[in-house]
Order: sequence, then structure tokens, then C-alpha cells
Amino acid sequence: MALKELSSLEKFLGLKKPNKYSTQGDRKVPVLQSNSGPGVVGLVTIATHLTLEAKKPDLLGSSAEERAVVQQWLEYRVTRLDGCAKEDIRTILKDLNTYLEDKVYLAGNHISIADPLMYYGLHHIIMDLAVHEKEKYLNVTRWFDHMQHYPSVRHHLPPVVVLRNRVYTSGHH
Amino acid sequence: MGFGDLKSPTGLKVLNDFLADKSYIEGYVPSQADVAVFDAISGAPSADLCHALRWYNHIKSFQKVKTSLPGLKKALGHYGPAGVEDTTGGAADDDDDDIDLFGSDEEEEESEEAKRIAEERVAAYNAKKSKKPTLIAKSSILLDVKPWDDETDMAKMEECVRTIQMDGLVWAVASKLVPVGYGIRKLQIGCVVEDDKVGTDQLEEAITAFEDYVQSVDVAAFNKI
Repeated sequence: MALKELSSLEKFLGLKKPNKYSTQGDRKVPVLQSNSGPGVVGLVTIATHLTLEAKKPDLLGSSAEERAVVQQWLEYRVTRLDGCAKEDIRTILKDLNTYLEDKVYLAGNHISIADPLMYYGLHHIIMDLAVHEKEKYLNVTRWFDHMQHYPSVRHHLPPVVVLRNRVYTSGHH
Repeated sequence: MGFGDLKSPTGLKVLNDFLADKSYIEGYVPSQADVAVFDAISGAPSADLCHALRWYNHIKSFQKVKTSLPGLKKALGHYGPAGVEDTTGGAADDDDDDIDLFGSDEEEEESEEAKRIAEERVAAYNAKKSKKPTLIAKSSILLDVKPWDDETDMAKMEECVRTIQMDGLVWAVASKLVPVGYGIRKLQIGCVVEDDKVGTDQLEEAITAFEDYVQSVDVAAFNKI
């Protein structure tokens, strides 16, 4: 799963030459094979490395504060999201919902590498959410829908339908 | 489309609801649509309209590049949920009915037109009606309504029959109870019908609908007037 994700990430970053990946250990930690020396291990490390390789350092955050936020969410992805238990899902969604209430992207006012990575990590959770839950975590749903429509993010993942029950309809009838 | 009056709290509330599950006014990137709505708002929305505030702060960060955002800046009535008029700069007027297929900007004109047409039609109908009586073909029908047995309440049955109202049907004031035999009596009731509007089958159907009382209906007599 991580390997597909990394190749989607490469496309997002506009990297022309795909890299070679493998996994190690029972947790299937991805490893980026490089010709010189040991490979780069770990999703976050690889993602950061790829971003710099693509010469898009802005995606890591344009200010010190933004960089910290991006790192925070990358860490969140790997430590709290991946392999989380069912009970934790509610907490995660609640945290995210509160956080995203006044934000369009996870860090700052433009997309960063944290957004697609969180999107990939959350996809299987959001796909299984019932409609009323999607409404409950409305900010997460909004951000998620935004991400899946953002050019060159979605790739290997199927789109999740987020239709909202509205008072004012928008012509979907 | 439109948000109502964006300078009023109700309009801002419409905007807030609209933006609850969207990042931008149109599509998934900032565009002139966002610029148009941003310019129409007088200031930052209050903190309780959290989605509008989020969007406002986000778009504010694009102020330097706002002219280079994609899209065409259109009138406010092009954005927002369907079924809501844009009344910014005019009187606030919220319309939360179903989708108006023709666009709510034309609604007010339409209802004026509709009223005019309706009035014309009423006048035409009245004119027609006043000419009609001389030309209607009428018939006088005598109906035999038979009950199930002699226990049937004939008064009730007659009441039921008389409740049948149809356009062009007038029941006769008098009715008779004619004995048939074995104590059973049939109700003989007359009516005047306009041929175009009422047929004997309709009448029979309507009467036999009262199954508790009516066993059958026959046309005893049928005369043209």
C-alpha cells in the first residue's frame, strides 16, 4: 500500500523518473533504494526526500512555523493514523475536525506535502464512514473532498462520494 | 443562484452554509468567483459563521494575486446555492423553496406575468360561460337504486346518493320509495345531467360505490330535455 502511495506522491510532485522501493520488517516500512549507500527508510523521510528531489521545498512549508506544522502532520500520519485501532478513529476524526474548522489546507494557505499524505492515510477511514458521520465531521469531509479533487493527488485511490443533505440544493436533482 | 443580501446577516448565513463543505465558491481552486463574493462582503464574517470566516481569511491571503486568479468575474447571482436570489444592494429577500429551473432572478417578473395571464383567462372563461346555457344538451334520468334487503335504511341510502356531486349533475328535489316485493323497496330518484359532463355509467359507478346500502342501480327512464 505504501508503495502505491509513494508512486502517486511522485506523480504529485512531478517527478519524471520513478524510484525503486521495497519494504522491510513486518510493519512493511518502505525503503527507497538508492545507488549510493543504504536506502532511505520510512514514509516521512522518503516523502521529504522526494519533495526536495523535486525541487519543491515550499511543499514542506514556507515559513518556520509552517514547516513545523507540516512535520507535525507527517508525524501524526505515521504514528497515530497508520495502524490505528477502531476506537481511535473517532478521536482522530474529532481532532482533525476541530483543527480544520478554520483552515482550508493543513498548513497555511496553500497545499503542502502533509495534505496528500494525510489524504492517503485517511482514505480507507473516510470510505467506510456513514453519511451522518461524514456530516458530523464536516470539516474533515470538506477538506477530504477538496484533496481528492486537487489536481494530481488522487491517482490510485477511488473517489469517495461526499454528498451533503442541504437546505439549499445545488442543482443535483 | 445568489446568496441573498451579502451585506446582511441572513445573506452571510447562506454563504456560511454553502461553504460548510466547500473550500471555494466555485470548483476546487481559488478563482474570480471567490474574488467577486469577497468584494461583496463588507468585512470579515463573525466568529460564529466559522466556515465563512475560514474562507474569508483564506481568500484574504490571495489579495496580492487576486487579479491573476482563473475564471471570469460574474455577477453575484451566478454563485451560491440554487433557489436563492441575489439581493445584495437591494432589499433582503430570502427564498427557500425548491429549485427554480428558470433562475430566481426572473421570478418576480414571472409572477407578474403569470398573474396577468391568469386574469385574462378568467375573463375569457366568464365570457364563454355567459354564452353557454343556451347551447348545453341536458337529459333527465330516473334512477332505480335497489338495496340489499328490507332492513336497509332507505333514508340513509338516499342521503348517500345525494352526496354524489358532479359538475353538471343536479338531483331532483323529490324522490320516491317504490315497493318491489318481499318488503324490499327501491329508491326512485331523478336527476338532470348535462350530457357532455356526466354519463350514466359514471353515475352508476358512483352510486354502487356505496356497497353497504346499494345492491344495484338501473336507469328507469332517460329523457332528453
